[in-house]
Parts: sequence; structure tokens; C-alpha cells
Amino acid sequence: MPAKLFKGAEYLIVETDKNDIFTPEDFSDEQRQIGDTTEQFVLNEVVPLREEIEHHNLPLTVELMKKCGELGLLMIDAPEEYGGLELDKATSMLAAEKLSQAGSFSVTYSAHTGIGTLPLVYYGTKEQKEKYLHKIISGEWIAAYCLTEPGSGSDALGAAATATLSADGKHYILNGTKQFITNGGMANLFTVFAKIDKQHFTGFLVERNTEGLSIGPEENKMGVRGSSTTQVVLEDARVPVENLLGEIGKGHKIAFNVLNVGRFKLGAAVTGAAKVSLATGIKYANERKAFGVTIGTFGAIQEKIADMSAAIFASESLIYRLSGLIDDRLATIPKDTPNYYESYQQGIEEYSLECAIAKVFCSEVLADVVDAVVQIHGGYGFIQEYAAEGYYRDERINRIWEGTNEINRLLIPGIILRRAMKGEIPLQKEAMKAFESLMSPSFDELDDSVPFAAEKVLIANLKQAFLVLAGSGVQKFMDTIKDEQEILLAVADLAINIFAIESAVLRAEKILPKLSESKKASVSAAVKVFTFNGTEKAASAARRAAYYIEEGDTLTMLLAGIRRFTKYDATGLLKAKRQLAGASIEADKYIF
Amino acid sequence: MKLLVCIKQVPDLESRFKPNAEGVWYNETDLAWRMNEYDEFAVEQAIRLREQLGEGSELTVLSIGPERVVEAIKKALAMGCDNAVHIQDPAAATKDPWQIASIISTYAKDKNFDLIFTGMQSQDRGSAQVGVTIAEQLGIPCTTTIVGFEYDNGAITAKRELEGGIKGIVKLKTPALVTCQLGLNVPRYPTLPNIMKAKKKEISAITAADLLREEPLATTASFHPPAKKGGGIVLEGDVGTLVDQLIGILKEKTAVLR
Repeated sequence: MPAKLFKGAEYLIVETDKNDIFTPEDFSDEQRQIGDTTEQFVLNEVVPLREEIEHHNLPLTVELMKKCGELGLLMIDAPEEYGGLELDKATSMLAAEKLSQAGSFSVTYSAHTGIGTLPLVYYGTKEQKEKYLHKIISGEWIAAYCLTEPGSGSDALGAAATATLSADGKHYILNGTKQFITNGGMANLFTVFAKIDKQHFTGFLVERNTEGLSIGPEENKMGVRGSSTTQVVLEDARVPVENLLGEIGKGHKIAFNVLNVGRFKLGAAVTGAAKVSLATGIKYANERKAFGVTIGTFGAIQEKIADMSAAIFASESLIYRLSGLIDDRLATIPKDTPNYYESYQQGIEEYSLECAIAKVFCSEVLADVVDAVVQIHGGYGFIQEYAAEGYYRDERINRIWEGTNEINRLLIPGIILRRAMKGEIPLQKEAMKAFESLMSPSFDELDDSVPFAAEKVLIANLKQAFLVLAGSGVQKFMDTIKDEQEILLAVADLAINIFAIESAVLRAEKILPKLSESKKASVSAAVKVFTFNGTEKAASAARRAAYYIEEGDTLTMLLAGIRRFTKYDATGLLKAKRQLAGASIEADKYIF
Repeated sequence: MKLLVCIKQVPDLESRFKPNAEGVWYNETDLAWRMNEYDEFAVEQAIRLREQLGEGSELTVLSIGPERVVEAIKKALAMGCDNAVHIQDPAAATKDPWQIASIISTYAKDKNFDLIFTGMQSQDRGSAQVGVTIAEQLGIPCTTTIVGFEYDNGAITAKRELEGGIKGIVKLKTPALVTCQLGLNVPRYPTLPNIMKAKKKEISAITAADLLREEPLATTASFHPPAKKGGGIVLEGDVGTLVDQLIGILKEKTAVLR
């Protein structure tokens, strides 16, 4: 059990102790075994068929999903009462991470187990679960989630699809078109959102063979080409009233709550993809020769490998820290609580900010990684025969779906302000304190006898910078701050990098005593490299925000404060990069 | 019917190995561990027999080693073994095959196992002696490197792999021991439900010192990478010149054309 239960967004105003976070090194034997089964399944059964899957052999994908079902890979999040395993989020994320090596197949898997299955698990009635859940967790049926429409994407509640109760009161008649539906071409059960009487946004469980439901042609996509993406068209589709999901007019709760887990899971999946992509880059660097030596011996290549390894270390640290946060909270809800899933939903919603961070940060780490891996390959990275080319194309969608990275960034300050207004986090009080420290800098000596002392001071300072800027923004714009998107994006970048740096440092601090000398050196190097890179980004975002918000003397004062709050002494940075790259090149893979 | 399967945990073979400080084994720092591949075939075959026999039969998995080997034991339990014995020994790697076998046979002596499965050899030491030595010490028949296995009413029919691709069929009666070779079966993945159920299965722990009666018969003198060979010579050009060059080299540097 955790020593402390954290509130969502609380990391911005309190100091977290290393013993209060979950890390990948804390996995139990069972969790590791589940990771192992997943990985072996993917490497032995899916990866060899990658080419065929990429060429849109959907029956093959359906067959592999059944195999996933036999292994129990589809039942991780389902309740025991209905034959599921009801395991923790850490396990669920580990499986998602391992599955990500499967390319397009992992998209099918993620959509099915995430947004496909969870609405039914969280909001389904006993009868609905009895009817459908077993089919879904066994892989007999594939599930899909239909929210987006041709005319509404990020503004999901602007959906035009309608539902009208039939004259005899037995059916809802659904009309509308759903766009970019993952698994559309093979799904048997669709969670469809439509407005009853054109106003009450509501979820429905719609079977594939429903009269009036038709599936559009497969989209010809840039990446993840082996996954199915189609329109789902509803023309007077008659859906039995008992298939209404949740409550009338409460569809937004389903749509958004499921997206929290979806974003989190996406973060885990892209972290796995980043590791695989990096390994491909390192292997190439170890094989390819130029000027008579392998290119991995060049500093230009080593620097990329070091930056990538350090960023993935942070990405991984962040995902499993968030698993721990959520699992700790969910563990406090007794299973026999009436409306268990309502409390459960609230438990996850508490960390909606961290879920958005995970989505944005981890997907952008992957973006940097696939780009660098193509670059390491030189011209060969541009050729389809090489895996690097596919990784590059497959990556792109991750910054778009499950809420674009812009939408997710905007959510971050939005959530913080809402919580502050409600008095859930003492933002105003802390911002006032931060302003004071802006005026009166402290000159405490750094206690460098403890590991990562400089990083810990930096993290505290970055939080001060965040509080000062968020406070200034609110003071200046009051309620209209929500319309100042450029400021919100900059503040979000600050919040994201703080969470990532802190997660990496806390994990390193926690695992360090148990490591061998060489691993210690690599972990410390990763912390230095990532803290430097993350701080540069945070500092740039902070300055951007300052210029957007203030002018004149106040601006000058803010900028001086930012300079102080983002100061990080990265002495030994080059040595750290070479250490990290050297260890990765020797191991021929991602080393953590 | 009582079945025993013996497994060893070995490093991932893709690891970079370095000799340890004493120069008699590899350095175990930072290695990833897994179940010895041949032992996976043994576990799979034992589980299939256990399933064939059904109620009233019992399959025990045994492993010797430090705390980390529990992970391999748990995998065997998740695959389908009923219970486990962990013979705790942080220094298992320093013992020779004779001692390892004697630990197991001392344990098994009064347990009346009808059939014992082991891997053909371990992927790290590769002596291929432990299985046969256990059989010898227990005084039971044994057959090795099996690639086919059938059991019916106390009689085993095993297909063995011999030199040059020849196969042999061996029949033996229980109690007996078989060692398993690649090709015998395709080991199952532990399913997620079975991984979770295995948490409740019993792992009894015994200290190796309580079972060890024997002195080593062999000691490892040195463990080191093979000496580096000189680089080869790559000849380039059209075939006529290549032949002349090659003959020149053979005459000059070897005895074949003298």
C-alpha cells in the first residue's frame, strides 16, 4: 500500500517522495510474467505476419484477436464477475506496451480493449454485460467506439447523429455517420453516441447486424495501414431500448471518462513503440559502417541515441508513476460499494490531467524517436524495406487521436483552474507564495551529498515558475484566460515537463541503491540528459508564456525569475551522453 | 501417479557475457534470466502427461538456485504444474553436475516419483549430465534427447534423436527419467488467468545444504572467451586472377600443394 494518496494535479504544489511512486522496477513476478507472455505472443505470432497484416488481411487480424482472447489478453480490465481478471492498471499498461511492437495489430488491440470494451464495463447494466462482455473478452467479437463524425472531431459533443424513440417505445431509431472508426471493418459491437431528440447526448450498444447499420470502405491511411478504419453509417438503425448505455443525456460522461484511460493507455503503447524503434536504430548504428567504422562510434549518432534513451526513460517513468497513482486510488474503493464503477470512474477522473500529460508527452517522445531513427538510417530510413520507415509513418496518428495534442494541452491548465476554483488545490495561496519567492530569492547551499540534489531543487523551482506564470495569467485575464490558447499551451508545456522530469528523477532515486555500478552510471546519465533537455523545453515555454502575458517592468521581473527558476547545472552533460550511448550500443537495445 | 520436472534458470542468451572475477563462471551482474529452453520442453511434456492422467496425478516442479529462480518456478506453475520445490542455493553455479544431480536425487529418493522429466542440457553449462546422473543415482532407467513421447499404463514409448538425423524408438517402464530435446513439442504460453491462479500454488523451500552429500567430481579450471582469430583475407578481381592468387597463397602459406 502507498504511504500517501495523491490528488490529481497535486504534484505541481507538493513535493513527492520517491517511496510514494510506482516504477517499472516494482513489478511483481506475476506482472512480469504477463508482460512476458504478451511479448512472446507478439514476437512469435504477430510480428512474423506483419507484412500480411499491413496489407489489410483483416481475417488474419480477427484470428489473432481470438488468440489474444485465449491467452487472456483481452480480459485484463474486465470484472471477475463476468469472467474477467480485473487486474490493476500497471498490468494493463504493461500489456499495452508489449503489444505495441505489433504495429497495426496493436491498434486493433488497443481500440478493442480500451475504448471498445470499457464503456460496457463501466456503464453497462448486468444484462448488457452478461450478453456482450464474454464475447468481447474472449475475442469472439471485436468492439469499436463511434464518437467522431465527419463534422465533429475535437468538439465531440457537437455530434449530429440522432436517436428517436420508436412509436411502440421498443427501439431507438439511430441516424448519422461516424467517422474514422477504428476496427470498423471487423467489429461486431459498436458503442455509438447520438443525441436523443437532437439534444440528449447518449451512448448506445449497437450490434453489427442491426438493420440500417452499414460500414464504409476502408480509409487509405498514412500509417498503421493494417488496422481497420472506416465510416459507420446509421440509416434508421433500430436499436433495442435495452441497449441504451448509461443514462439518457449522460453520454458525455462515458465519452470523456473512457478517453482518460484511452489517453493513458496510448501513452503506454507509444512508450513500447519508442523502445522498439530505438532498438532498431541502435542495431543499425552497430551494423552500418562509414569511413571504415560502425556509425555508432560517431558522436553525432551517439548523441541521438543518448537523447532518445533518456527521453524514453522519462516516458516510462511517467506512465508507471501514473499507473501507481490510479491503482492506489482505485484500491481504496471496496469492491462491494454500490455503484462501484461510478466511484471507480471518479478515481480515474481525478487524474485526467496526468492522463492528458501522458498522452502528449509520450506521443511526442515517440515522434522524436522515430524521426531520429530514420535519420540514423540515412537514405535507407526512407526506404520501405526498412522498419524505420514504417515506424515513422505509424507514429503520426498518435499526436492526433484520443484528443489531439493541442486539445490535451488545453485541458491541462483548464483542469488546474477548475480544481483551484473549487478549492481542491490551493493554487492561489501557492501562487502568492511563489510571487514572494520571486522577489526574495533564497541562497540555500545545495546539499550534494544526496543523489540528484540539483535536480530536486530544480523541480521545486520549476513548480515555482509554473505557479508564478499561471497566477500572472489568471490575474491578467481573469475568466477570459480560457480564450488565450497560446498562453494555455505554453503553461501546459511547463506542467508536462515538470511531471516528466520529476517522474524520471524520483524513479532514479528510488531504484539507485539496488543497481549495479554500471547501471547506476547509466541511470544517473539518463537523469542528467533528460533533465537538461526537459528544462530547456520548460524554460522556453515559460519565457513564451511570460512574453504573452506581461510587458514592461513586470515582464522584466518575470523573465528574471524564470532565468533563476530554470537554472540547471548540467556539468558533465557530454560525458553523460557518451556514457548512455556507449551502454546502449554495447547492449544493442534500450537499456532500462 | 507422481511426476517431477526439474528446471534451471539461465541467462537470456542474447546477453553480453563476461567472465566473473574468479574466472571460473560468467559474471551475473545485470543479466536477464529465463527458463532453460530444453526445460520448457520438459515442463510442457510433463503437463501434457498430467492432463492425460487427470485426477489423482500430481506434477511437481523443482529448481535449484538463488531467490531469483522463483520466477522460473512460477512460470512452470502458470503453465500447469501443481506445486513446486525451490532448493535454495545462492552458490548453485559453483557446483558440478554430479553435486546438482545428487541434491535432486537425495530429495527425490523417498518421494516415489513415477516419472522425472528434465531438459536435455542447460543452455549455459551444457553438460547434459544432470538428468542421466539423477537416474543413475536413483537406480531407475532413463532415455535421453527425446523428440517424441507417449505414455500408456506404466509404459513409455520415447522417440530419440540420434546422430545423422536417425531416430530411435525406446520403450521403458516407470519409474523412469527422460531428458527432452528441441522438437519434442511447442511449449504453451502461460495464459493470464493461469498466471494469476498460480499465485495460490505452493512453493516449498528447502536449503541445498540439507540435501548435499557429495563432493564435486569436476572443477572448472577456467572460464574465458575464445582467443581472437586473425582476420581473413578477402580476394577481389576476376576469376582467373583470383585462382592464381589463391594458388600462390596456398603454396606459400600452407602445405597442401607442396
